[in-house]
Amino acid sequence: MNISESLKIIDEGWVKKPKGFRVHFQKMVNSEWVTDYAPGEEEDPLDSDVVAWRLAWKLSQAGKPNPSETSEGDIVNIYVVDDSGNPIKWYSTNEFTILNVYET
Amino acid sequence: MDEQFERLTKIGDLLNLYGKELILALAILVFGLILARLVIRLVGVTLQRFTAKQTVISTVSNALHLLLIIIIVATALEAAGMHTIIIRRILASITLAAIGLIVLFRPYIPTLPFKVGNTIKTGDLFGKVESTTFLNTRLKTFEGLTVFVPNSKILNDYLINYHFTPTRRIKIDVGIRYDQDILKAKQVLEAIMIEDPRVKTKPRPVVYVLNLADSCVELGGRCWVDNLKYWVTKCDLFEKTKLRFDQKGIIIAFPQRDVHLYHETPGFPEEESLKKISMQPDPPVVEQV
Repeated sequence: MNISESLKIIDEGWVKKPKGFRVHFQKMVNSEWVTDYAPGEEEDPLDSDVVAWRLAWKLSQAGKPNPSETSEGDIVNIYVVDDSGNPIKWYSTNEFTILNVYET
Repeated sequence: MDEQFERLTKIGDLLNLYGKELILALAILVFGLILARLVIRLVGVTLQRFTAKQTVISTVSNALHLLLIIIIVATALEAAGMHTIIIRRILASITLAAIGLIVLFRPYIPTLPFKVGNTIKTGDLFGKVESTTFLNTRLKTFEGLTVFVPNSKILNDYLINYHFTPTRRIKIDVGIRYDQDILKAKQVLEAIMIEDPRVKTKPRPVVYVLNLADSCVELGGRCWVDNLKYWVTKCDLFEKTKLRFDQKGIIIAFPQRDVHLYHETPGFPEEESLKKISMQPDPPVVEQV
């Protein structure tokens, strides 16, 4: 096995390099929970997970639901996904994190 | 007195003869130059709709401006009574001489090592070139300042043109304490760089042990990114490095000096003195400077 082959194995098996990041969330629209992404799926993803998590945190603060009752515009179940739609760990805790967790 | 009177009479005669032509020529020159300026402005605005390249716009505008000036001057001189054939010959001679000189001495003519739109660093200025003239260069720095830099200063100073280098290397230097696991720290730092989508895969990110310094083991992470993403990526990588090291229990070192104070008791030999101190309940005082 030459070096390039071994490097290929390392790239596929060790640390994954996502192509971009999106913030996944659910928003209350017309009394229904609608799943959406920021930036949208038709737009280019963000190239930084730091920026994506910052956006997620700001969304969680802006759309924090009232624990007793939800209302229009509430944003719940916020987390960052990669280009394939898989959740990624929050770099500050290195754990899978969901902001504004809510059973929908 | 007579001489002055005679001179004035001569001027009067000349004005009688050519006055109308001279005034007409002057009017053509003044109005022509104003009109040319307006036309150039209009052309600039129109070109901006078709192309975003400032280089193309400024080149076309400058060439057109020069052409208009030549036409206006030629028309004015013709109105003043000069034969156009002479004007044409003079202009042709000047043009040929200029072209000849440029072709001959081009390698020796100092030129600015950048174009409009390039990002450059000269002296302590770092920004984007907005325009250049014979005398100065207009630079828009990343703090939003517009700086007019004399070309002579640019030619006499070092200059970095980032246009020629599309990628740039990021240095993530971090020092860890001597009691920390070097291999684990290297692995964590390398993983942080590899997993970032902006970091290039070729050349691959690498981590070196740079130095065994006074207070720490210096690790150096090196990776390559696009020029445009250099600064933000570097900031993100530093942030992630600190947080990930904290998560993994790798302690980042800081400059420190330990000062050990031993209380010497008079009358005791040196060994006895140290023994006595070690028996004391309090550990030796350690001061961090």
